[in-house]
Amino acid sequence: MSLLAVSNLTKNYRRTGKPVAAVDDVSFTIEPGETLALAGPSGSGKSTIARLVLRLIEPDAGRIEFEGSDFLALRGVALRARRARLQMVFQDPLAAFNPRATVARVLDDPLRVHGIAPRTERPRRIAALLERVGLAVDLAPRAIHEISGGQRQRVAIARAIATKPSLIVLDEAVSALDVSVRGQILDLLLDLQRRERIAFLFISHDLGVVRAVAHRVILLDAGRIAESGDARTVIDLPQSAVGKALVAAAPRLNRYRP
Amino acid sequence: MSRLRRFLHTPEAVAGAILLAVLFAMALSASLLFPGDPQAIAGPALLPPFQDWSLPLGTDRLGRDVLAELFHGARTSLAVGLAAAAAALVIGAVVGTLAGFAGGLVDEVLMRIADAFQTVPGFLLALAFVSVVGPSLGVVVAAIALGTWTGPARIARAEVLSIRERDYVAGARVIGMHPLEIAFREVLPNALPPVLAMSSVIVAAAILTEAALSFLGLGDPNRVTWGGMIAEGRTVLRTAPFLSIVPGIALVLTVLGVYLAGEGIVETTAVRRGLS
Amino acid sequence: MTVLASIRDLAVTHRRDGIEVAALKNVTLDVQAGERLAIIGESGSGKSTLALAIAGLLPKSARIGGSIEWFAPPLGGRDIGFVFQDPSASLDPVMSVSKQIAEVVHTHLGLGWPASRAKARTLLERVRLPDPDSALHAFPHQLSGGQKQRVAIAAAIAAGPKLLIADEATSALDTIVQAEIVALIRRLVTEDGMTLLFISHDIALAAELAERIAVFRHGALVELGTTRQIIDAPSQAYTRTLLDAHIGLDADLLLNRSGLPA
Repeated sequence: MSLLAVSNLTKNYRRTGKPVAAVDDVSFTIEPGETLALAGPSGSGKSTIARLVLRLIEPDAGRIEFEGSDFLALRGVALRARRARLQMVFQDPLAAFNPRATVARVLDDPLRVHGIAPRTERPRRIAALLERVGLAVDLAPRAIHEISGGQRQRVAIARAIATKPSLIVLDEAVSALDVSVRGQILDLLLDLQRRERIAFLFISHDLGVVRAVAHRVILLDAGRIAESGDARTVIDLPQSAVGKALVAAAPRLNRYRP
Repeated sequence: MSRLRRFLHTPEAVAGAILLAVLFAMALSASLLFPGDPQAIAGPALLPPFQDWSLPLGTDRLGRDVLAELFHGARTSLAVGLAAAAAALVIGAVVGTLAGFAGGLVDEVLMRIADAFQTVPGFLLALAFVSVVGPSLGVVVAAIALGTWTGPARIARAEVLSIRERDYVAGARVIGMHPLEIAFREVLPNALPPVLAMSSVIVAAAILTEAALSFLGLGDPNRVTWGGMIAEGRTVLRTAPFLSIVPGIALVLTVLGVYLAGEGIVETTAVRRGLS
Repeated sequence: MTVLASIRDLAVTHRRDGIEVAALKNVTLDVQAGERLAIIGESGSGKSTLALAIAGLLPKSARIGGSIEWFAPPLGGRDIGFVFQDPSASLDPVMSVSKQIAEVVHTHLGLGWPASRAKARTLLERVRLPDPDSALHAFPHQLSGGQKQRVAIAAAIAAGPKLLIADEATSALDTIVQAEIVALIRRLVTEDGMTLLFISHDIALAAELAERIAVFRHGALVELGTTRQIIDAPSQAYTRTLLDAHIGLDADLLLNRSGLPA
């Protein structure tokens, strides 16, 4: 059974009166421990799909099955409890945290909300989470805006894994990072996936990164699936017009390699 | 503290702070310097100021010590002004946050209620409320807050509307936080600065409204108020104008002090935010 | 080749809350007339500060040391065109596209308003904005991100500058639009014989467009060379790190596919 099964997902937006389909009849599945990438130009609907899957916005039509049950049917307490299993990492780690928060508070929230650890035990859990994502434990009392972008994204990952999720949505999670930091964050994510069988819905506009880290890819164009399949196969030899355009547009280094 | 230093470098802010400090000192020392009942008779009636140094500001129509009344009146003015403004800010911030964050029907209902309050002039509302419920300190505070909470509510709502679209609010939902906790722990604190920027104006207005209510005889009858003193002096305005002028000056300086100090705080925090 | 600007020991420090922060440290660099020079670096490398310093756009509070000697001293706004990362922020939201461009023409070339408007229309054609006639009357919010950046470029080249500075001008755009804008910049620079300063965090993108690349880190110039030198034979370890960190379409897979779910 798939971890996540999305079928016929549709979401319309109203723009100057007439409805525009942001996501149009999209279906896909994600297996446990798998990385599925959603790629496409801006406005192709990839971020909208991420927000629909997370129930940050509600679809106009379609089904979302998560861990074997109807995710769209959940309300209130039941929905909030299930959210522990489905987490997210945002593109801009500075915008993703309350500007007044400290590292410790950001990590304390999920532990407290889901009753994962009693108050006295939480500092120890927070320290363990920081260590797990490769951060020094003494970072805990620091304010979020004081630490570097790479450190912030590690904190975001620590927060996402605090509730032991089975699926993490990564919405352009490495796009805003410096290239030297990006590789380290990708390594961390892949290590988490390997050890804890976490599945990723990896949203990115960067086909090079998608090809390097995803098992499968879905190429989106104007809210519809243009093409999908094994990430390497699709990107090495795209069939759809948008796939060809994306590949042609990707900057190349053309390095001379002896 | 560079913020304090910046505050102290603004002359208006310093002037305001000094005025406020004097006012607070008066309020706090009132029962030490004038331990008795300020409404008790202390000497001959209508003694002009600077005649008898045991009664430096003279006495009123009933022979009460004007200086003692002034000190005790400072208490009422400050207490009512601060309490009413605090109540208005709290109610406003809570209502505005709920309306902005919940949206939909809740927003619609709360904002129509705010409209209803806003269409009636605040002073008229306070006047009606006090005359129906009866004058006491608590009622006066409630009456003033009733007419002033809508301003903070609207500002809080506008701020919340923009904040609720930010990623960190989505992030709080993703970790499963309760909507009320998101509204009051994540959103409200970040929506507060512009609401608090209004507080100096609200406190100043509340002090004036309290004085006006007292002037009309709708203040707490068991307490000395500056508005009541001015009203008292009105009947002998020609023969003893100082009875109205002294509390009048106190009132003007207080409102000015609150306003200047408040603006100073806003200014220094605004500079800070502009930098970052 | 003439030197357009020779930068000598340029140092820029900003004061923030009483603390001095060095944004650029003793940068020495010659910008050749007519070349396409890329300035690359990560956040905090000082690349944007250099762009602002060359354009004379640094805030007054910045302390500047060293010198920038010009072959012919430029008039800011006329001789230097500047394209920013976020076109929404650099365009006036309540002014029509034609007015924004015509204003630059009117101010710097001294043409009358009808002539300035006509020039604006030609410029919109030059930046390949689809349907330039209706775009003239459009307001920025009615355009897509890529179209807005085209308008910003039209405004930047309106006065016929000698030097075009593009500061992360394509970073907010998706890959396809980014490639289009890069192609547009290349064409305009060639056609008008402009010098291009292309500021970017993306070494691959810079390599596609520039003839020379300057690598910056922590406010200092790490390495400067022709694009081929920098890409194929970098002399500095940091440049090599940047090159190795690039994940292109031919990169080795990071994913270990043995544990793949069936």
